[in-house]
Amino acid sequence: MTSRRGFLAGLLASSLAPTPSWADLGRPAFLTAAKNPDGSYLLAGLSEAGAIQFTCPLPGRGHAAAAHPTRPEAVAFARRPGRFADVIDCRNGTPLARLEPPKGHHFYGHGLFTPDGSRLFTTENDYENGRGRIGIWEVARGYRRIGSFDSGGIGPHDMLLRQSQSGPQLAIANGGIETHPNSGRAKLNLPQMRPNLSLLSLDGQVQEVMELAPELHLNSIRHLAISSQGILGFAMQWQGDPGADLPLLGLYEPGTPPDLLAEGDPRLRNMRGYGGSVAFSPDGLTIAVTSPRGGVVQVMETSSGHIIKEHALRDVCGLATAQNGFIASTGLGAIAALTGHTAKQLRHHDLAWDNHLVPLT
Amino acid sequence: MPPKTGPPSYVFWKASDLKHIIFALAISAAFTPSLVRADIVDEILDDQVLPAMQALAESSEDLAQVAATICRPGASPLRAAYHRAFDAWVRVSHLRFGPTETNNRAFALAFWPDSRGKTPKTLAKHLRSADPALLTPEGIAQSSIAGRGFYALEFMYFDQNFTSAKPHEYRCALTAAMAQDIAVNTAAIHRDWQDSYADQMRNASGRYQDETEVKQELFKSLNTGLQLLADMRLGRPLGSFDKPRPKRAEAWRSGRSQHHIVLALQSLQPLAIALADGDQDLIARLEAAFQKPILRALRLDDPRLEGVADPAKRFRLEALQQEINDLRALIESDLGPSLGVLAGFNSLDGD
Repeated sequence: MTSRRGFLAGLLASSLAPTPSWADLGRPAFLTAAKNPDGSYLLAGLSEAGAIQFTCPLPGRGHAAAAHPTRPEAVAFARRPGRFADVIDCRNGTPLARLEPPKGHHFYGHGLFTPDGSRLFTTENDYENGRGRIGIWEVARGYRRIGSFDSGGIGPHDMLLRQSQSGPQLAIANGGIETHPNSGRAKLNLPQMRPNLSLLSLDGQVQEVMELAPELHLNSIRHLAISSQGILGFAMQWQGDPGADLPLLGLYEPGTPPDLLAEGDPRLRNMRGYGGSVAFSPDGLTIAVTSPRGGVVQVMETSSGHIIKEHALRDVCGLATAQNGFIASTGLGAIAALTGHTAKQLRHHDLAWDNHLVPLT
Repeated sequence: MPPKTGPPSYVFWKASDLKHIIFALAISAAFTPSLVRADIVDEILDDQVLPAMQALAESSEDLAQVAATICRPGASPLRAAYHRAFDAWVRVSHLRFGPTETNNRAFALAFWPDSRGKTPKTLAKHLRSADPALLTPEGIAQSSIAGRGFYALEFMYFDQNFTSAKPHEYRCALTAAMAQDIAVNTAAIHRDWQDSYADQMRNASGRYQDETEVKQELFKSLNTGLQLLADMRLGRPLGSFDKPRPKRAEAWRSGRSQHHIVLALQSLQPLAIALADGDQDLIARLEAAFQKPILRALRLDDPRLEGVADPAKRFRLEALQQEINDLRALIESDLGPSLGVLAGFNSLDGD
């Protein structure tokens, strides 16, 4: 009997000749999820100028996505508590596979491929045991689930690949917040929460764990960026009382203490306790963080940690590195280029762009 | 030792105010339909923003002059001048864009909430160092914003750890410099509004691309004001039922917490009404939705919101917070769409 996975594996194998590549699509620069005006959901590929190069329908609200390093395949992750991750042939929107988390797990909405494209990693909640897990999926065998390992904390959310001296490693933002699907999105462990940024080898060995000072234990480390120099940027979401005066963006160079940016600058309050997405400028001299609640993008200098620019942009959340600075997306359909001290709208689409702009590297 | 404060030095409002407010509401409802309406941006600028900014600058200048001659924190002319200027600030505290954000002016006028207690720490440090440089306008403008503005001055005038702090001469000079700094800052805000910012809003073609963007900015400030009210001015002291936080009430040392809620609602109401742009049905609903929390806030009889910790009184503050949240919901659902403002896809529901 032909199993579904076997069928899919065959489909994938047959699509290898002639080798399709992202160039078939005119090399999109970013992937992002969105909501249509009619309430349906999709994944889109965008050019550097913010033009839509392809769209694929999704069965529910997406969050982030992962692009295969060579094949024009993307995995669109459902927003947490995610029940699906759809593998899509981005040339025509054909669904190639649907990943479902194992019983007792749900997806958090982020994931990535290994550099050779052989495996997909997904951040997951093992909610019966209250543990963060990283799921492993074998690409060549129709995205078969082949195992999982501990994420190094509770609530693994964003995850990036980082090159260290000992080879590639996973940088995982363990947000620290325990949730259970039976309780919706309710946060079950705020008094005890302890977020961290963990660095793991690709086989799940913990290499480093960065935790902030105890008084910041309610500052959920949620989203990550990496500079061309390998420095990690992490954006946080404050779970304590509103009005607290706290850093929401930090830099972490493994082996050194974390560097919290703009500490004590009252303009941090304009973020309303919520860092949405984070990205470095191409030269690594600045780092930006979005706040949809504050309707603002703050750009900070990595050397001094000072805020050097605030861009007002309603419902902004998606953010990525772009040629001359940053590119941002909003829930109102705008795609904007943030260069130096100016914000310029590149495009406007009749879509609500969801939380993240994922760069294709 | 926790600072002790006496009862407020004067009465902020009288029962007769209630009648005036109800009368004013009736008048506005009765007369609006027959008036030829001006452009709503002009109306908001000319009737609300510019006069309020002028009042802020003028009352702050008065405060600076009084503070230059009177040092005794309990002196009634000084307190009266302080209360008038602080009132004027609270009335514009939702207008957080443009001139207030240049050089962090608004933060330097109003560093609140102060969750880490930076204001008293900064002031104590100033008094210990007795640095003469802080007494110059340039010196104080360079110093930590936590030690500047109305909330810092409140410590100097109402907190016993500071009202009689030594050295006496330096304390007097510092408070005078702080008041002068407020005057400089508010004058700069008023000047920017008058000289350029109001025109940029009237003739939207640069900073604002069109009139819709201008209205959306004003709408955002209305939301900012209501959010500040519900989440900060009420939410912070309310804390939770098991853990109320009365000492987090805004400006409790000067007994102004309740008063700020009334002032804020009273200045947000005309903004909401103007943004409704003559839609009589919506205006009626907005007026009703404002009237409930305004009357409740006026009747609280709890200047410092100490009732958050008293189960018999707490429910009134919770009800007030609920009414303000109802007002936010009405504004979001009924006023926003008419201005082209839809609920944020990302801002409402983050991850």
